[in-house]
Amino acid sequence: MTTYVTAPAVDRPTATEPATATPWVGRDLTRVDGPHKIAGRAPYSSDADVPGMLHAALVTSTIAHGRVTDVRAAEALALAGVVDVLTWRNFPRLAPGPEVPLGWPPPPPLQDDGIGFHGQPVAVVLAETLEQAHEAARRVEVDYEEQPARLALDDAEPEPIPWVPDSSRGDTGAAWRSAAARVELEYRTAENVNNPLGLMGALAVWDGDRVDVHDSTQWPTLVRRGIATMFGVPLAGVRVRSPFLGGGFGAGLITWDYKVLAVGAARVTGRPVKLMLTRPQMFTQVGHRPETRQTLRVSAAADGTLTSVEHRALVAGAVERLPLGLVTAATAHGYACPNVTTSDRALRLHRRYSSAMRGPGEHEGNAALEVALDELAEQLAIDPVELRLRNLSTVDPASGLPWSSTALAECLRLGAERFGWGDRDPRPRSMRDGDLLVGWGVAAAAYGGYELPTSVRVTVYPDGSAAVRNAATDIGTGTYTIVGQIAADLLGLAPDQVDVDMGDTEMPPSAQSGGSALAGSVAHALHRAVDRLRDTVAELVATDADSALGGAAADELELVAGGVRMVGSTDIERWSDLLARSGLESLSSEGTVDGSDTSGGTMARAGAFGARFVEVVIDPVIGRLRVRRVVSVNDCGRVLNPLLARSQILGGTVGGIGAALFEDVTVDPDTGRVANGTLADYLVPTHADVPDIDVTFVGDPDRFTPTGVKGVGEVGLIGVAPAIANAVHHATGRRIRHLPIHLEDLLSTPRDRGAT
Amino acid sequence: MPEVRPFVYHRATSVDDAIAAVGGDARAAYLAGGTTQLDLMKDGVLAPELLVDITRLPLRGIDVLDDVDDGDEVLHVGALTTMEQLARHPVVSDRLPLLAQSLLSGASTQLRNMATIGGNLLQRTRCRYYRDPTIGACNRRLPGTGCAAVQQTARMHAVLGAGPRCIAVHASDLAVALVALDAVVEITGPDGARRVPLRDFYVPADVDPAREHAIGHGDLVTAIRIPIPAFARNSGYLKVRDRASYEFAAVSVAAAFDVEHGRVGEARIAFGGIGSVPWRAVEAEELLRGASVSDTDVGAAGRAALAGAFTVPGTAFKPELAIGALVRLAGVLTGTRGAVLV
Repeated sequence: MTTYVTAPAVDRPTATEPATATPWVGRDLTRVDGPHKIAGRAPYSSDADVPGMLHAALVTSTIAHGRVTDVRAAEALALAGVVDVLTWRNFPRLAPGPEVPLGWPPPPPLQDDGIGFHGQPVAVVLAETLEQAHEAARRVEVDYEEQPARLALDDAEPEPIPWVPDSSRGDTGAAWRSAAARVELEYRTAENVNNPLGLMGALAVWDGDRVDVHDSTQWPTLVRRGIATMFGVPLAGVRVRSPFLGGGFGAGLITWDYKVLAVGAARVTGRPVKLMLTRPQMFTQVGHRPETRQTLRVSAAADGTLTSVEHRALVAGAVERLPLGLVTAATAHGYACPNVTTSDRALRLHRRYSSAMRGPGEHEGNAALEVALDELAEQLAIDPVELRLRNLSTVDPASGLPWSSTALAECLRLGAERFGWGDRDPRPRSMRDGDLLVGWGVAAAAYGGYELPTSVRVTVYPDGSAAVRNAATDIGTGTYTIVGQIAADLLGLAPDQVDVDMGDTEMPPSAQSGGSALAGSVAHALHRAVDRLRDTVAELVATDADSALGGAAADELELVAGGVRMVGSTDIERWSDLLARSGLESLSSEGTVDGSDTSGGTMARAGAFGARFVEVVIDPVIGRLRVRRVVSVNDCGRVLNPLLARSQILGGTVGGIGAALFEDVTVDPDTGRVANGTLADYLVPTHADVPDIDVTFVGDPDRFTPTGVKGVGEVGLIGVAPAIANAVHHATGRRIRHLPIHLEDLLSTPRDRGAT
Repeated sequence: MPEVRPFVYHRATSVDDAIAAVGGDARAAYLAGGTTQLDLMKDGVLAPELLVDITRLPLRGIDVLDDVDDGDEVLHVGALTTMEQLARHPVVSDRLPLLAQSLLSGASTQLRNMATIGGNLLQRTRCRYYRDPTIGACNRRLPGTGCAAVQQTARMHAVLGAGPRCIAVHASDLAVALVALDAVVEITGPDGARRVPLRDFYVPADVDPAREHAIGHGDLVTAIRIPIPAFARNSGYLKVRDRASYEFAAVSVAAAFDVEHGRVGEARIAFGGIGSVPWRAVEAEELLRGASVSDTDVGAAGRAALAGAFTVPGTAFKPELAIGALVRLAGVLTGTRGAVLV
């Protein structure tokens, strides 16, 4: 059973009470895009075809480091339907892409003969059909001059990540030395690959200096900037569309090579070019969660009060592109502790470009910290839930400012109650089900709160209908639906009277669908757009002698179905009359947020919090582990649509099970080749691996923005893996300090996976 | 201009027509359910120039026959019978649990509805070095070039019938149960019809990495004969893998025990996921036959079966896991242990 906290109406500081008695926000509306997707009518970018287009196929490097000495394409070019083979010799010279928050795009592809990783594009084959392109790509022969590659974590010197500064408060060394209890551990997390079901690809169509790109992206606004910068064409002429996306989990946040290659190939050939990645290429061309190796030193007083945390991470990166990092950053904000040191270091290796993957960095760092806390609780003989409760903070421990909201204590207490944690025998191996070992584990979770630059346009029409436009991608989570709900409340309409369209750079620019930031950013911008609409109405009626609203201030006006009225009045001035008298076909306004702190420095912006309780059952003779149930309690601020938010937590939980038990890219130690780059060989959870998941939301609307929204996309994954690892310890008595946990880790004689 | 990888498609009208078509063309291959053949063609691993579709041939159906030689009844299964059809046959579900369980643990329902019994036995290895044409060292695909898997990433590879020249696993679950049951393959070829015991059907990779089985070009598997011994009612198939469904075995074991008056009579044991061929564990069977259920050392039997294991770092855990799987399944079949976690 799932319960929800009832979400109050949207706060509207400059507006009046909503016209409808029951707000649309907070209701379980099903996804408006659902019927379109089920019927095959949703226009995904990969469905875009235009007459005369060429199909592109990639030829990728089979070495990790060196240079291309020759590309022999004569046999490929002789095949029927093959139009061209582009290499670094004949691909356009491009400028570097623009820096964006948290990093740079990869360097433009096919600019020289250098090879930095196995899987790097070395040629693009263009043909009339997809089959011709792929067969010809197979027949392109590439000669290399190979150089020794740095592939293992120990092969590179750690270097700082500019956007992830080290943090330090207090004196961890002194606190560590004098502590009553100490845990020191090394923790490793494997490389995971996002693997959205939708293969990513782009169709590029040039018309003079204008280019139209249908792309699988989570961030059309960024891709437009990337393409314009690299190709040296005006932003105004670059249009990027991504109205629907077959998932992304962070794989769609970068101006990846494939789209640059499609745009460049279309420019060279003068024909539209479509480049769709294959499933194995989804492992090499669109990023992944990079491998980490972390060290943690955690100490506490005898009562469980944390006295020091020292958390350091090494993160695998590519030679030409640093990883995102953010592995240890959240540790500085997690628990009340006077002495905390964090640092992330990147390793430049001859490996593929990494990127964000759901809960990027936070999942990996949280896993190490929450396992360490479990070890600390065991050492002190304190219940692990109680240990966490004793160290919670109502202020951001890094800045000292009060959190704009936090219900982490309630997450832990309610989760323990729903799970039945009180019946847990704390002794490892003490709980059995016949021959089987049973383990219960807990972990807390947090994901930072962000608001990012976003604009939204609202338009009202004489017939009372309204439109909302914004360039963000609905990644498949329900953005179209929640935007309609918010707009309906603000405009006094029903959601089906609001036309919501998104995912096109012809619309107002937007933040990415990522970082759990989109719902809050769009909601806040939408509020501002409607405030401005009311301002504009006030300006119109001020000079409109025939208006009954003349002289009203904006905050005296209320938007309702069909028009505008004075607050408290029943007389509605209809949009049709108002617009006709002003000679307008419609009335539009735009609202923009830039993420700046509007609290006056009085509070710290909180993100989402959560607690995970997990039961595992293990058959130790064969190393078989099943997750039997999960209780997930989350503070996500105001929940805009509980049905859709619950789906986010369910999906995050499944992702967490995958990271805990299955997802593990194996890379050939000699070449850096991905050895398991198919969905048969790279494992994600099946339905049979997913148990009952009990989802609950707690907490209040966040105080930092008028919408009260915090993110819901990432937090559900975070904390699941360490809760499973802690449950494994409770079941078996064995501490497994790496992810994923494989069956051989659970055998009576644990084995090093060696080369795996 | 040459077309992209042209091939001719021929729909066989009879068994003789099919054999003549494939036998007469060195670049020809049979096409049945297509669940492996078409994948390998798309991946560029196989490139037949003539595909002979045998799916319309009268090689479907399951019959129970009296076997004149042995006394046991025999299940006669046409080679084009699908995995799902065989798994759901009442004789299989009632009298051959190891066979039903092996079939239903393989692939997915959708694949089992397409994949045929004959094709299942002839499926190619899942080795990612064999299946990636950009890998130069593969003694199976390119005889004499070496083995990349031994040097690189080898968790899902073989330890029995394996050696430095090749560690490819035979991935079939079905074949493991069939080799435990002494099934026989019926083959018709350019030289006529013959029967080959499944135990002699496969060539271990340490014997010849390039040759997977005993049939020649043009030979067509037409049926499988599966004995139905009475003791097989007490049998099972335990497949050990990381996730609960849709994954090849890290280790599997098929076993049937004839338990009477506290003693093991006939014992059949075969391993999957660890052999270059479905691995009949005759040494283990010998040790268990006649043993008392109460003090049988199944672990010792398992160790005897794994004595010749060839391991590399990635497969070092497999012998212990295989022994554990045998112990676990034997515990269920002898009634000394509870059910395996599903």
